[in-house]
Amino acid sequence: MSNYFNTLPLREKLNQLGVCDFMDSSEFLDGVNALKGKKLVIIGCGAQGLNQGLNLRDSGLDVSYTLRKEAIEGKRDSWKNATENNFTVGTYEELVPTADVVINLTPDKQHTAVVNAVMPLMQKGATLLYSHGFNIVEEGMQIRKDLTVIMVAPKCPGSEVRAEYVRGFGVPTLIAVHPENDPQGKGLLQAKAYCVGTGGHKAGVLKSSFVAEVKSDLMGEQTILCGLLQTGSILSFDKMVEKGIDAGYASKLVQYGVEVITEALKQGGITAMMDRLSNVAKIKAFEVSEELKTIMRPLFQKHQDDIMSGEFSRTMMEDWANGDKNLLAWRAATGETAFEKTPAGDVKIGEQEYFDNYTLMVAFVRAGVELAFETMVEAGIKPESAYYESLHETPLIANTIARKKLFEMNRVISDTAEYGCYLFDYACKPLLADFMTRVGTDLVGKNFNAGKDGAVDNRALIAVNEVIRSHQVELVGAELRKAMTAMKSIKTA
Amino acid sequence: MSKPVVHIHNLNLAYQQKPVLQGLCWTINRNDNWLLSGESGTGKTTLAKAIAGLIPTLEGDIQLNFDPSSALPAKVHYVANWYQFKDLEGASNFYYQQRYQSLATAITATVIAELTRFGNDQQLSFDALEQLLTALGFAALKNSALLQLSSGEHKKLQLIKALWSKPQLLILDQPYNGLDKRSRENLNDLLTEVSDNGTQLIIVGNETELPAAINRFAVLKDGKLQEISSPISPKEELEEVIKPLPSFLQQEAPYAVSGSSQVSGSADHIIKMIDVNIRYGDKQVLKNINWEVNAGEKWLLQGHNGSGKSTLLSLISGDHPQAYANNFYLFGNKRGTGESIWEIKERIGLISPELHWYFDASATVWQSIASGFYDSSGLYCSPGSTKHARVDELIQYFGLSAYKNTLMNELPLGKQRLTLLARTIVKKPAILILDEPCQGLDQQQTQHFNRLVDELCKDGTTLIYVGHFESQLPECIEKRILLEDGAVKSVEHLLQSI
Repeated sequence: MSNYFNTLPLREKLNQLGVCDFMDSSEFLDGVNALKGKKLVIIGCGAQGLNQGLNLRDSGLDVSYTLRKEAIEGKRDSWKNATENNFTVGTYEELVPTADVVINLTPDKQHTAVVNAVMPLMQKGATLLYSHGFNIVEEGMQIRKDLTVIMVAPKCPGSEVRAEYVRGFGVPTLIAVHPENDPQGKGLLQAKAYCVGTGGHKAGVLKSSFVAEVKSDLMGEQTILCGLLQTGSILSFDKMVEKGIDAGYASKLVQYGVEVITEALKQGGITAMMDRLSNVAKIKAFEVSEELKTIMRPLFQKHQDDIMSGEFSRTMMEDWANGDKNLLAWRAATGETAFEKTPAGDVKIGEQEYFDNYTLMVAFVRAGVELAFETMVEAGIKPESAYYESLHETPLIANTIARKKLFEMNRVISDTAEYGCYLFDYACKPLLADFMTRVGTDLVGKNFNAGKDGAVDNRALIAVNEVIRSHQVELVGAELRKAMTAMKSIKTA
Repeated sequence: MSKPVVHIHNLNLAYQQKPVLQGLCWTINRNDNWLLSGESGTGKTTLAKAIAGLIPTLEGDIQLNFDPSSALPAKVHYVANWYQFKDLEGASNFYYQQRYQSLATAITATVIAELTRFGNDQQLSFDALEQLLTALGFAALKNSALLQLSSGEHKKLQLIKALWSKPQLLILDQPYNGLDKRSRENLNDLLTEVSDNGTQLIIVGNETELPAAINRFAVLKDGKLQEISSPISPKEELEEVIKPLPSFLQQEAPYAVSGSSQVSGSADHIIKMIDVNIRYGDKQVLKNINWEVNAGEKWLLQGHNGSGKSTLLSLISGDHPQAYANNFYLFGNKRGTGESIWEIKERIGLISPELHWYFDASATVWQSIASGFYDSSGLYCSPGSTKHARVDELIQYFGLSAYKNTLMNELPLGKQRLTLLARTIVKKPAILILDEPCQGLDQQQTQHFNRLVDELCKDGTTLIYVGHFESQLPECIEKRILLEDGAVKSVEHLLQSI
């Protein structure tokens, strides 16, 4: 198999990268009809598999699960998840031949094996559904020509997919049809119906392509989402301890701070996040983030270049073949960092204090989000796709850090994201070494406003606000967030 | 001569930045056990929390004088009117219906783990615990996950902690919410017992069935506290004119029971359960339930706490995943034959303690009521002008005009409840499922609401009503189904007897 994207002529590369259509709610008036009475068979019953299945069934669709024989015989968690919720469960041989739609919700790394196992069993003209395009785009998996290949990717963890559906909402969702596999032209209709089945149509649906999804998803997760949050957290913690701030306090500030800070980001973009700072702090955070952007831009560009050329996935797949040697070593090292090993102290930190005493993280987040967005757009990814894969997902990842720090974040995200995260982190820390020598406790650990009278120059403030507010990620974000009405607020620790 | 246990002088208190108590004075002497009553929004909870030291005072002084010679811990324990729990990671982002989903409940601690944590924290003797668990019928729940408990069971867990810790001053805010009759009696006995052993009681609420130990009565009104001679009895006060129903509720017949889009069953029965069973692992919560409800019938569903009432109702409202594994019909169609839960919910107006607990409290009163049209928790789309007008009418009818744009989480529980009642009827549903609808309301509001239910049900609306207070039920109820330990104990006609 060879990298699908690299087999395309430039014209077609640009064409597929540029698929990006924020769909109007009127596109979903036909409900789940395109899938009604069809047999939906889901492969895998983890968090995404189970929760999507529960939603689809509650939307009136016929859902069952197929698992590997060992999972069934061993009564593994996936088997329990499915049977205890009263779904039919069967082996590939039993269920796949009956399926109209086979839904592959297994981890990336297993895709090739899983698809090779189920494809011969699929009936002629059936549909294969993915929630991530890595297997098709990067591994170049060839699917039988009679089969339709679509993607439906809810942009939230599985538990949220369920929680939001049950309360009558949904989560933002990305859909795509693989242009090489749409023989009957039914792909889009089925993808839309699937969206209605999981409730995604109530929160905004972006029509994308397999190519655009993979190239933007990989970029987002490696750089801003996981990579920079990891680097920023570790550097911030170490700096505080170095400067004599209580380690328990530092641990708590870092663990929960990024969630509190990015909650403002979720509600109102970079603008809202920066507006939570005092005027003096905002101007400082702006200057710091500008400097960070200059330092880190080449690294962001390198990641995007390696993703586009297929270099990233080639080296990662080498590591897969090598028994995950690098991944496991990096994972172990993350578990050993001082931040990871210092429990959050039993101190109360107020919501505003997370902004005032962790201005450095605000600067990191602004720099990272804008850089990831700008780099993706420069590479031919449309702004809406870039928004989802940068700003939109940052609070979701921050939430995993709040739960159990970086080790938990890396456990929850895909192996692909984890691998990319470590790559970024190892390159980024040395890059920021000099910058960090100039960071003091006013930026991280203590209240930035302490001892300052708060006065700012009007024109300076106006200029800073103007730059923040007119950035393209803010303009696009304001539009997309309108569709995600009444987003739930997090409850802070 | 001992000092008063609580001495309050010229106290000013605010609720959500608005002043609610002005120049309040209250002296609680030793051996006085008080009932603190008053309408919703008069500041009962705010005052109780201030005494417990949970919120700051604006002005004035609250002195607590504990008895140094007492063996009981010198502290106040406040039992909140609303229960809270967290998952093992300390978050409480749960969602409605999650507790019915197998395996989803393992994210919370078990009852016994939670009690052990609490007991160690407060340095309590575990010998005293068993007796309490038995007295409140909780022994069998020790290994249940917190997320699996019903609202009445959560209330009991709060009470067990309070009774176990035996503080010198115990404040109970609406302690009877969600408790069945026997549990209320047991609670009163237990409260009398702790009182006899030196714990001083303040009960906040508008109850009339009180522990014998309660010997002083106060009512909060217009920011002041007034002592009265006995608890306010509802009957005397309810001579107010009953407001006419909003016009849309009078005129329009409910959604037809048959003949609409998906649902074209021929039978009269709109609910038919045949040997319905629900179990989680080894634990069976519903056992061979057979039950038919015909269009237009008015049912009372009763049973002790934990008898399976909520689970039974969750099957009807489309909220239970195990509906798909049972033989049961809704609107003449077998469940799990291509209908969506939204088509089911469209015909049902549902309120329950859990719906309230899980409701999205970051929505405004107006949005919350309007969300009843879409059966969502919070509003995700903008209703048209007809719907708009209905919401406005109901806001007026329920006396909520002043709170129209207030967020739910800034309102006292009683007002939140009124909002959700308005939400329940805003679409004029064919079936009303009212699971303890009047929890947290005062007796007069309860009577008003039950009369409204009687009015609504005149035109063929089907009703399933759950209420633990026999004296507080709508008059239109004609049939009763009684559950015991997950099985149907009896089904009977009631001849206008209630």
